[in-house]
Amino acid sequence: MTDRSTVNDRLTPDPVVIENHRVLGVVPGIPPGGERKELEREEAVMVWPHLLVRHAVASLVVVGLVVLLAVLFNAPLREIANPNLTPNPEKAPWYFAALQELLAHFHPQVAGVLVPTGIIVGLAALPYIDRNPHLLPRYRKVAVATFTIFLVVWIVLTLIGFMFRGPNWGWVWPWQEWYGEL
Amino acid sequence: MSLREQLKELHPMQRFRESAIGRSIWRVPDPKTPRDAAAKHWASFFMHIYPVKMRKEEIGFRYSWYLGISSLVLFLVLVATGVILMFFYVPSPQSAYLDIQRIQTDLPFGQFLRNAHRWAAHLMVFVVAAHMARVFYRGAYKPPKEFNWVVGVVLLVLTLLLSFTGYLLPWDQLAYWAITVGAAMAGFVPFLGDISKKLLLGGPEVGATTLLRFYVLHVAVLPLLLALVVTIHLWRWRKDSMLSPARTEDDLPIEEFVPVKEES
Ligand code: HEM
Repeated sequence: MTDRSTVNDRLTPDPVVIENHRVLGVVPGIPPGGERKELEREEAVMVWPHLLVRHAVASLVVVGLVVLLAVLFNAPLREIANPNLTPNPEKAPWYFAALQELLAHFHPQVAGVLVPTGIIVGLAALPYIDRNPHLLPRYRKVAVATFTIFLVVWIVLTLIGFMFRGPNWGWVWPWQEWYGEL
Repeated sequence: MSLREQLKELHPMQRFRESAIGRSIWRVPDPKTPRDAAAKHWASFFMHIYPVKMRKEEIGFRYSWYLGISSLVLFLVLVATGVILMFFYVPSPQSAYLDIQRIQTDLPFGQFLRNAHRWAAHLMVFVVAAHMARVFYRGAYKPPKEFNWVVGVVLLVLTLLLSFTGYLLPWDQLAYWAITVGAAMAGFVPFLGDISKKLLLGGPEVGATTLLRFYVLHVAVLPLLLALVVTIHLWRWRKDSMLSPARTEDDLPIEEFVPVKEES
């Protein structure tokens, strides 16, 4: 038993008198800074256990998913690298498939430099461009529409580059010929 | 004292906590009051990463879909599996490919280890991107969280670079030509194209120097950078967590966010 529990019993609220400090008085009225709306108390919950338990569950799910994938599917390993034997098609990793698809249509300095730089700079600048204070999507139609269009275009380009491109970057149907590599 | 509390006192874990050794580890006794519970956060390294309290709606699945924490877990899985792979892999064109083959065939659980590392890496790229999208639709980049979004963009770039540098290491046809295509983009940078490509590859084309460069970036430089930036990201998340202003009925902040010095 520690002496703590006798001082701070669970039933008594946190003491107003803290070591070496005394409350001299409570003044009624509005504070000089004006009425300040405090956050509602019930709104906040302790992170332990409420969030930590949820994070623990999420972590287990993620680890479980990785284990499952690793048991079910083997990582690919092709023949040893051969600088003299260029495969057809030559494919970048899937997360660059959208860029590679753009390269097939635009000047390399546009598709390979301007677009990726623009995306990264644009993303980083987003919170400073979008100064709309609303959080709910229905009050943020422009931002939501812009981002969604970008996202959809990017996903479609990624899928095209990953699944729908074959030899000489020609169009293929993935259910007929498969050239995607992970 | 209630029966429940008396039983708790008897629990071996509880008695260990109250012992001299237990106290030296946990630094504070088992919390009995809300104040103790908060103190526990400051007293523990791992708990300290987290805020003490959060808004109820922000801890549910619907708010974050737990994609941020999932990104972090994937990174930790990648570090754990990657460190073991490092013991059996030498980054040179003579040995890299054979080492991967040996890991798969001779090392107990080697194939599983390589699979886990590879799938976790693909998943991480996907989950980090999804986390960004979730944060966007929640509007969670608005004051005071603007800068943490920028930190997040840096994390996205680092994640892509980590995945890309790792892709070369098996030194098979897939790896070699994917990097050749990817690195070609570096050559398109105006004026600095040749230089940036040479810097990245260590020569006119992918070769032994490239493999060594990508390896060092992949196992040392980029993971350390990512760990550092993730730390900043989480720290900012904790600092900002309760600071966003409460909202009115029609979804407007009750007061404009003014950065203030925090009293802890
Ligand atoms: C390695 C990559 C990343 C990791 C490990 C990571 C981790 C986390 C974690 C653990 C949180 C706490 C809340 C949650 O679980 O969602 C969080 C929040 C946040 N992340 Fe990330 N993140 C990463 C990348 C990004 C990216 C790419 C962005 C955006 C461009 C971003 C922006 C944010 C923002 C703004 C918050 C605060 C959200 C809020 O308070 O509701 N993060 N991150």
